[in-house]
Amino acid sequence: MSNPNEATLLNKYASEVFAGLVAPALEDMQVSTHPAEDLPAKEDALVRMNRELKRALEKPASERHWVMVIDLRKCIGCSACTVACIAENKLPPGVVYRPVTIEEVGTYPNVTMKFLPRPCMQCDKPPCTDVCPVSATYKNEEGVAVVDYDQCIGCRACMAACPFGARTFDFGYTYTEQLPVMDGAVIGGESAGGYEHASQEYGKEWARNSRHESPIGNVRKCHFCLHRIKDGILPACTTTCIGRATYFGDANDPDALVTELINKPNVIRLKEELGTEPRVYYVV
Amino acid sequence: MIKKIAYTVGAIALLFGLWGVYVRLFEGEQSANYGSYIGWGLWVAMYLFLAGLAAGAYMLATLDYLFNIPQFKGTGKAMLWAAAVTLPAGLASIGMDIGHMERIWKVYLQPNFSSFLALMVWGYTIFLLLILLSLYLAFTRPEQSVMKLVMWIGLVVAVLVAGGVGFLLGGNASRLFWHVGLLPVQFPVFALASGAALMLVLVGWFGPKEDHGNRANQLWTLGILTVILSVVKLYFLFTDFTQSLYGGVPENVQAVQAIMFGQYSFSFWVVQIGLGTLLPILVLVQPKLAKNDFIAGLMGVLLLIGYAVARILIIVPGQVVPMLPGLAEAFSGPKLTFEYVPSLMEWSVTSAVLGGAILALLIGLDRLVRFTEVKK
Repeated sequence: MSNPNEATLLNKYASEVFAGLVAPALEDMQVSTHPAEDLPAKEDALVRMNRELKRALEKPASERHWVMVIDLRKCIGCSACTVACIAENKLPPGVVYRPVTIEEVGTYPNVTMKFLPRPCMQCDKPPCTDVCPVSATYKNEEGVAVVDYDQCIGCRACMAACPFGARTFDFGYTYTEQLPVMDGAVIGGESAGGYEHASQEYGKEWARNSRHESPIGNVRKCHFCLHRIKDGILPACTTTCIGRATYFGDANDPDALVTELINKPNVIRLKEELGTEPRVYYVV
Repeated sequence: MIKKIAYTVGAIALLFGLWGVYVRLFEGEQSANYGSYIGWGLWVAMYLFLAGLAAGAYMLATLDYLFNIPQFKGTGKAMLWAAAVTLPAGLASIGMDIGHMERIWKVYLQPNFSSFLALMVWGYTIFLLLILLSLYLAFTRPEQSVMKLVMWIGLVVAVLVAGGVGFLLGGNASRLFWHVGLLPVQFPVFALASGAALMLVLVGWFGPKEDHGNRANQLWTLGILTVILSVVKLYFLFTDFTQSLYGGVPENVQAVQAIMFGQYSFSFWVVQIGLGTLLPILVLVQPKLAKNDFIAGLMGVLLLIGYAVARILIIVPGQVVPMLPGLAEAFSGPKLTFEYVPSLMEWSVTSAVLGGAILALLIGLDRLVRFTEVKK
């Protein structure tokens, strides 16, 4: 036995039967006595999802089936995903793609908080696309519901049709407008405007120079960060989730982490009864 | 005298409204109170009201031009004119509501016909052309069969577009308050009811003076028609609300409770039910009062106000319940609220639309389609 101390320990603390079964198996095994942090680390979900993303991107777009999985057991309601989304997409005040709802569950003193991040559900049968009078919002070939800002007339019919409240209207607010400006001391709209002019959604630069230019006056929504995905980068909400509660990937890949997760019984989708077939799954 | 007051009211409304129109066109929609959760507000409700009014007015024009009912001879042209005024007014109201009104041409040249909204834009455009054609024929060849053919087509289209607006809301399965009420059935009745109320005003206040005997009969018939339609409307409301409350689905119950006991209860009980429905019913069932020009016209105005409020109380409560628990508090920002009271700018724009419609209606009645001219 290579490490007699461990075998002795087992013998000492385990039952006779257990030790009898296990001890012989340890005879030729090298058991580490190093501290746990030196053990080979389990692969981070992000590393795996990144690898799977690149694999999915090698396929034709129509063969990908992007899904998002959110593990509600892990979500701590930090709203880092919300903030990351805002920063990534340069969302103005009043426009939000991924709020996190907070619900208090139970009766005092037996109470707990329930957090529910709510991106666009990217429904396979979306009620929001058919209602658009000019086909400005539609499912792209990867199954993501997108908005063509240059086509949208701003009628908000899609907002009325969405059962999840996942669409918000861009009224043209900015964070820095009307702020006082003093060189070197106070940063006003003109000085900080660069930040607010740089949205890169759908792979295009969306200027915010006038109150009449799109996406102002348009309905906006989560698009799974398509502009990142095409470059092999996971959506901002996924990479930012500090608890690794958000997963993203191609459900057509049988070996993908998301496929593993959604094929278990402890998975739900919101408002299944409406038949919209959401592509966002919640692990409960 | 009444006409002078009406002109003054229309002019003041239009003047007040110009401010709102300026703000809307040049500063955008920030000073409106509709937002991302209650996306459709006063202007959409006014579109429903005015477009419904146009459909109703057209339906009533058929009494003269299609069904040749002697009692209503001479009223058809005025009702067609009313339709020709109220429909563009409704379209102006909805036009102000869309974020990029300069792209409206896309609905004609790049339409998505699986969208009911696109179908409605096309439907209302066809309806407007039919109204104008009917009006033209009313001046040129009112007795010819082509007039009857156009009126038949127009009548069917009027019912369809009125019902279509109901579908525009009711087709949203995710909005239970709109979905359960069978709105496509209700809306043509609302349209006819509001058309009858408008006719009460036009005949009562602006009808030909020398035709007083016939006018009293017209008013009495219209009064009865209005009462019947109001009772039917009340029954719709009763069944809608009781079904919702009895069914007990929280989203629907909350919407009905918001109307009956919540922030909209004053508008509902006092304006829509009290002043806009019960009072006119009580007055119009009395022949003496119903035949009085002024009173009949006044009841017509009250009914119209009631119907307009009714449209607001269909549009807004359908959106007041958060789609997910906690959504209202999940993220703070401008326009992310489930509470809605129209802003001054919204009222101002609506004032412009209504003021413009009142003036156009009066000018048309004075110079274009006098009741007396078409008296046969």
